[in-house]
Amino acid sequence: MGSQMHINRDDLVGRDHFIACPSCDHLADLSSMAEGDRASCSHCGHLLCVLHRAGLNRVMAWSSSALIFLLLACSFPFLSFESSGLKNVMTLPMTVVRLYQQDMPDLAILIAGFIILIPAMVLLLLFNLATTLAYGRYNPWTNVMCRFVFQLQGWSMVEVFFIGVLISLVKLGKTATIVTGLSFWAYAAFSICFILAITGFDRLQAWRRIGELQEAG
Amino acid sequence: MSASTARALDLVSCHSCMKLTEQDLQVCPRCGSDLHPRKADSLNRTMALLITSCLLYIPANLLPIMVTEQFGRTSENTIISGVLVLIKNGSIPIAAIIFFASVVIPLGKLAILFYLCWTVKFGSKISSRQRTLTYRVTETVGKWSMIDVFVVAILAALVHLGGILSVHPGEAGLAFAGVVVLTMLAAKSFDPRLIWDRDVLTNE
Ligand SMILES: [Zn+2]
Ligand SMILES: [Zn+2]
Repeated sequence: MGSQMHINRDDLVGRDHFIACPSCDHLADLSSMAEGDRASCSHCGHLLCVLHRAGLNRVMAWSSSALIFLLLACSFPFLSFESSGLKNVMTLPMTVVRLYQQDMPDLAILIAGFIILIPAMVLLLLFNLATTLAYGRYNPWTNVMCRFVFQLQGWSMVEVFFIGVLISLVKLGKTATIVTGLSFWAYAAFSICFILAITGFDRLQAWRRIGELQEAG
Repeated sequence: MSASTARALDLVSCHSCMKLTEQDLQVCPRCGSDLHPRKADSLNRTMALLITSCLLYIPANLLPIMVTEQFGRTSENTIISGVLVLIKNGSIPIAAIIFFASVVIPLGKLAILFYLCWTVKFGSKISSRQRTLTYRVTETVGKWSMIDVFVVAILAALVHLGGILSVHPGEAGLAFAGVVVLTMLAAKSFDPRLIWDRDVLTNE
């Protein structure tokens, strides 16, 4: 790591193995990275890059399974609630619809975005990008999609919502009977696949692949 | 030290694709994003968003977040009174999670971001590495504050037995979601490299 002290400026420009840490601006030399390695900034500890093995195939697999699980999660009963001999069955979209019916359209749209719409959009973009990059079918839209997918990612709250579901279960479990439906398990599977899909798509690795395709095309 | 940053060598790193290019370029040659050596107007934007979220945090706590209707009687709960009810009913772990997510995280996040903005202007005894780490943690945990709003949305959809027992969302939900979104935007507009720029200046 001490080699960083003697960086010659002319060696840097146009060489893609040098990057500047987005957290502290110190330069890092990634030329010795091999597949499967991860690199962190030696000054601030920020994770710079993970070179995934067969990364694009994994992203294709996880993002397509996540999309299927999300579709299932939206179509079947999520939870059912039983108290005093009465029963109410709830689906996942009902969390949003009920807010809308209670005159809170803004909150309904926000929550729909955080738990369903943004994650779905991220998955569609990831699947599209992974196939495009794996088969080398680069087009100008690839840039737009890749920029967009990383901006959008930070706004999905899939895992937060799932913990919210677990808390609701415990909260009500004392006083009423709660039964988990098929969609509950589908959403759990969706959360796991979603997280694996987004963590499997490394920003730098993806952009370097795009750079290669730009030069080839 | 100073010679090993991109800025010291008149280079700029693309915020979107991390490509390192000459500082006089306006647009990234690889991804087409606009290039800025640092996030635009970072401190002012962050401060403006932080002040707005502080103001919004007041109605988020004063208005009811959840309205329960049981046999015709309605009872309203704010975030804090909801936590107190949970403690009274003996659900200490859940009370702790909700309190942490709805009070500790948002207030902690506001305090830390204000503090970081202040240190960029006036310096600090805490090392840049430590402060950058604090910033990264703050940025990552921010979205967990939404838990209570999600719980209310789930309860409102699930506990719906007409006049016998129903849960309705309260007005604080939108205010609180607003606080979460604004603090997330504030964290995104803060540029941690400003912490290090000060080190470079004082070392020279
Ligand atoms: Zn760094
Ligand atoms: Zn770029």
